[in-house]
Amino acid sequence: MKKKKMISVLLTVSMAASLFAGCGAANTDSAADSKSESTGIQTASENSTVTAGDQAFQKFPEVVEVHIGQAVSATDKLPDGLSVDNNQYTDYLLENFNIKVVADWTAASGNDYTQKVALCIASNTLPDAMTVSREYMLKAAKAGQLYDITDLFQQVQSDQVKEVMDSTGGEAIREASVDGRQYAIPAVEVETGGVQVINVRQDWLDEYGLEAPKTLDDVENIAKVFAEKKPAGEDTVPIAGPDKNTKCYTNFLETGTTTCGFDAVFSANNAYPGLFLKDDSGNVTYGTDSDATRATLERLADWYAKGYIDPEMGTRDSSTELINSGKVGMFFGAWWMVGYGIGDAYRNEPDANWQSYPILTDDGKWNVKLGSSTTGYCVINKNVSEDVAKAIIIMANVLLRDESKFDVSEQPLNFWPVRTLMAPADECEYTYNELIKVLDGETAPEDHAGISTAYKLLSSDVSLVKDTVPGYEKGKQLSISDFSTENFGNFQRMYSLLVGDRPYSTQQVDQKVRSCIFSQTATMEKKWANLWSMENEMVMKIITGKSDISAYDEFIKNWKAEGGDQIIQEVAEES
Amino acid sequence: MKNTTVSAPAFLKKKRNSKTVFNYHIMVLIGMIWLFFFNIVPMFGIVMAFEDYNPMQGLWHSEFIGLENFRYLFSMSDSKRVIINTLVIAVSKLILNVVVPLAFALMLNEIRQLKFKKAVQTIVYLPHFLSWVILASVLLEMFGYRGVFNSLLGFFGIEGKIWFSEESCFRQLIIGSDVWKEFGFNAVIYLAALTGISPELYEAAAIDGCSRWKSVWHITLPGISSTIVVLSILGLGNVLNAGFDQIFNFYSPLVYSTGDILDTWVYRMGLLNVQFSLATAAGLFKSVISFTLIVISYIIAYKAADYKIF
Repeated sequence: MKKKKMISVLLTVSMAASLFAGCGAANTDSAADSKSESTGIQTASENSTVTAGDQAFQKFPEVVEVHIGQAVSATDKLPDGLSVDNNQYTDYLLENFNIKVVADWTAASGNDYTQKVALCIASNTLPDAMTVSREYMLKAAKAGQLYDITDLFQQVQSDQVKEVMDSTGGEAIREASVDGRQYAIPAVEVETGGVQVINVRQDWLDEYGLEAPKTLDDVENIAKVFAEKKPAGEDTVPIAGPDKNTKCYTNFLETGTTTCGFDAVFSANNAYPGLFLKDDSGNVTYGTDSDATRATLERLADWYAKGYIDPEMGTRDSSTELINSGKVGMFFGAWWMVGYGIGDAYRNEPDANWQSYPILTDDGKWNVKLGSSTTGYCVINKNVSEDVAKAIIIMANVLLRDESKFDVSEQPLNFWPVRTLMAPADECEYTYNELIKVLDGETAPEDHAGISTAYKLLSSDVSLVKDTVPGYEKGKQLSISDFSTENFGNFQRMYSLLVGDRPYSTQQVDQKVRSCIFSQTATMEKKWANLWSMENEMVMKIITGKSDISAYDEFIKNWKAEGGDQIIQEVAEES
Repeated sequence: MKNTTVSAPAFLKKKRNSKTVFNYHIMVLIGMIWLFFFNIVPMFGIVMAFEDYNPMQGLWHSEFIGLENFRYLFSMSDSKRVIINTLVIAVSKLILNVVVPLAFALMLNEIRQLKFKKAVQTIVYLPHFLSWVILASVLLEMFGYRGVFNSLLGFFGIEGKIWFSEESCFRQLIIGSDVWKEFGFNAVIYLAALTGISPELYEAAAIDGCSRWKSVWHITLPGISSTIVVLSILGLGNVLNAGFDQIFNFYSPLVYSTGDILDTWVYRMGLLNVQFSLATAAGLFKSVISFTLIVISYIIAYKAADYKIF
C-alpha cells in the first residue's frame, strides 16, 4: 500500500517536472534566437566596406539568418522531404547570397494566416519578415513595430525593382509609407489585376448559337438560355457567385479583384460601390450610396430569383471548385482566373473553352474599377539587425531578377519566402502584345534573349509561346483547342495572358475609376470594420432575396449615422 | 479544473490524515499550475479593455481611455443583436442539454433488454467524439440546396432551401445539432446516477401498487436530483459560451442577424480587424455577465436545493 502511494507521488512529481521541463526547452530556443541575432550584428560591422552599387545582389560573407512567417496555400504541395524553409528557393538563397531562411511558423493562407498575423502584432512577436495586408501594415507601423527602411530600400533595391516602383509614379512607395517614412516593401500589382472581366463557356455559347456577351442584357439572355437548357445537367449554374470567403465587390482597402464577385456588373451600370469617389468640384461621395448601386442590386436580386446566379452563393465552400467541376456557364474574375485560377477545370474537361470578355454599359462604354497599385506588404521587424533587413530586400531583388530561372511545376512560386509580387503596371498588356508579335512572326524569340528589364518573364514567355499555342492563326480568336497542355504551368500562364488579359490588352477603356483614398482615416480605424460588415450583410441578403431593397435604404441611413458622415468628411480633408 | 474544485471539499470535510491530503494536493497542483498560467495570468489582459492598446507600448503603457471602448461597443447596432443571439442560443442549449439527456436516460433505464440498451447507448454516444469542423461539413451538405433533407422534402412536394443560410432556421438548427451531438454523452452521467438508486426502493414501490410513472416521479427523480443540480450549475458557468467552434463552422453573413454570437463577433473584430481593445471590452462584458449568473445560480441552488458546490 505504502509502496503504491510512493509511486503515485513520484509519478505526479515527475509529471509536474516535465511540465517545467517544457518551459525550459522553450527558453533555450529563444536564447538561440538572440544568439543568432547577435551574430547578425557582428557581420553588419564587417560589411560596412561594401559599396552601394553592388549591394542589390551582394553575397554576405557569413550566413545571415532570416526568420519568417509564411502563408502556405492548402492546395500547393512540395515534393516529399522538402519544406517551407528547405526547397529550391531557400537553397538558392543560401548558396548564392548566404541568406538562410528559417520559418518560425507557417499558416494556411486566408483566415488562418490573417489570424496569425494579428496575433503577432497584438503580442509584439513579429518574425523578421512576413507579408501582410494593408490594414495590418498600417496598424503595425503606427504601433512602431516596423523597421524604417526608407533609406535602406533606396540603397539596396535593384534597378529592376526601382523600375517597377517608378512605373507606379511613386504611388507604391507612398502606399507603403506612414508619415513619409517607408515601412514595407510593397507588392506592386499589374494594373489589370484590378480589372474584372466576364468568363464564358464559349463551347456552350456555340452549341446554342449565342453571341459573346457585350452588355448586361446579353449576360442576362445567355444566363436565361443556360438556365433553361441546362448544358451541365440538373445542377447547372448559369452564373457563379461569391463563396463564403469572398465578397460581392471590392472596396478601397481590399482592392484585388473579387473572384466570382459582381464588380463588373456594377461598373457596367456606372456604379462603384466600396470606393470613395471625388467629383470634379471636390465633393466626396461613397460609391455604395448611389442610385446606380441600388439599381444594380435590384437587378442582381432579380437574376438570383430567376435562378441565373448560383443559389448557394455566400454559403458555398469554394466557387472555384464549382467552376472546376464543369457546372458553371459564366463567372466574373481577374485576367488570371481563366488560366491560373481554374486549372482543374481543364484537367476535368479538356475542351472547356473559357473565354474572357469585358462587360460594357448599355451605350457601349467600358468602365473599369481600378485598385490601388500595391496589393501586399512585406514588413520587417523593428528589432532586426541592418543585415537582416538588407537580406530581406535582397530577396525581393533576387525574386524579380531570377524568377524565370526556376522550374515552378513541382515547387510552386508561392514557396518563395515572403514573396512580394512585383510587376510593372502594364506588364500583362506589354507581354500580350509582344507574344502576339512573336506568334505573327514579326519578331523572333531570340530578339528578347538576354535583355534584363523589369518585364522579368518576358524572355521566357516569348521563347515558349509557340510551343504552347501551336494552333494560333492570325485573326482568329484563340480557343482552348489551340493550346497544348503538355507543360501545364506554361499553358496556364499563356492562357491567362492570351485569353484572360485579351480584353484589357486590346480593347479601349473609356473610364478608369479609382478610389480617392486607399488608407484609413482616424474614424475608419475604429468604425470601418463594423460598417463594412454591415454592408456585406446587406448586399448578400438583398441579392439572395432574404431582404427586399428597402434594406438598402435602411443601411444607407445607418451607415451615415454610425460614422459614415464623419468618414466622408475626413476623406474629403485628407484626399 | 472542474473535477478538482468539485472533489476537493469532499475529502477536506472528512479530515483524513495530513499525509494523504498532501498526496492529493500534489495531484491538484498540476491542475492549479495549468489554471494559473492559462486562466489567471491572462486576466491582466483585461486592462486592454480600458485603453487604446498599442502592442509596442504594451499592456501597461498604452493610453488609458476609461470606458470609451464600452461606450462605442454599445452604440453599435450590432451589439444588441449579438447579445440577444448569445443569450437565446446559450440558454436554450443549457435547458435542452439537461432535459433531453435526462429524458433519454430515464427511457433507456426502463429497457430491460441489456444488449439493445448498450447498443443504443453506444450509438448515441458517438457524435460527441467528432469535431464540429467535420460535423459541420456533413450537416451543411445534408441541409444544403441539393442535400438529403431537401430531396426528402421534394418527395412531399415542398420546395427546398439552404437551411443553414435561412435566418429563421439558423438558431434552431444550431441548438438542435448541438443537443443531438451531446445528449448521448450527457445521458451517461445520468445513467450512472440511476444505477446508484437501490433496486429495493422500486421493489417496495411495486409491492405498494405504484405505477411506473409514479415510481419515476417519486423514486428516480429525487434519487438523481443532486446530479441534475450539479450538472445544471456547472452548465451555467458556460451560459454565455454559445459555442464558438460550432457556430464559426456553420455561419455566413446571411445569418449574422440570428447567428452571430459574442465570441464570433469578438473573433472578427479582434483578430480579423485588429481592434484588440474593443474585442477585449466585449469579452470582459461577457465574463462579467457570466460571473454574475454563476453567483446567482449558486445562491439559488443553495437556497432551493440546499446544495453547495464550493
